[in-house]
Amino acid sequence: MSERRPYRRAQAPDWWARKPYLAYTIRELSGVGVALYGLVLLVGLIALRHGPESFAAYRAMLATPLSLLLHLVLLAAMLWHVVTWFQTMPKTMPKLIVGGVQVPQQRMMRIGWAVAAACSVLLLVCLVHVGGRP
Amino acid sequence: MSAPVAPKRSNSPVLWLLFGAGGMLAALFGPALIIFTGFMLPHGWGVPAGFGDYAHVLGFVRSPVGKLVALAVIALFFWHGAERLFFTLMDMRAGDALLLRLATYGIAAVLSLVTLQLLLAVGF
Repeated sequence: MSERRPYRRAQAPDWWARKPYLAYTIRELSGVGVALYGLVLLVGLIALRHGPESFAAYRAMLATPLSLLLHLVLLAAMLWHVVTWFQTMPKTMPKLIVGGVQVPQQRMMRIGWAVAAACSVLLLVCLVHVGGRP
Repeated sequence: MSAPVAPKRSNSPVLWLLFGAGGMLAALFGPALIIFTGFMLPHGWGVPAGFGDYAHVLGFVRSPVGKLVALAVIALFFWHGAERLFFTLMDMRAGDALLLRLATYGIAAVLSLVTLQLLLAVGF
């Protein structure tokens, strides 16, 4: 009788919907929101390929209140992705040592968020600037 | 003495790289992209009315830079979501690993190829 009988701790099937694991689930599913936004863009590309009428219908669809609501949800997921992405980044990358001192995780997070905010603002400013050109 | 056995190669670093690239791209430019294509373009907020026109958007995806941007954003976002969904579903014990791989990475691969095909089909 040498068969292994390891102890398996009971785990409810819905453990991922309970605290404290719910935060993990929400963080991971924010990545699915990112992919869903990719799908919105892909549908636009398909409409573009089909011609001006299809693309006009796609644009009309984007202007509906339902689409506005969808994009608000996607934006919330995307912003949560930004927050958690830089929360996890210092934990997953090798220690960063500058001048013999390890850069604290908190500072790396703040720098990440600042860079992300700068990139997004810069992109919007560039797009508005290009669009405003005669 | 037996010959050393080469360790089995894993495809996970490649998938992780795609996940990481998509995650970083989304973290840096995702909010601006959603605000632009989801709110500003459809309602003409801050941009001229013709900015989202068929001809204008077609011109963008026909340019080399536009093609690269569209492919990077769409495909990498899919790979990012696929990686996260796969591991979350595995943790939820939602089903067989092969089935979950097909439902996540498989879909990302197919949609990436569709994106590439469309970007080539719209012309140059």
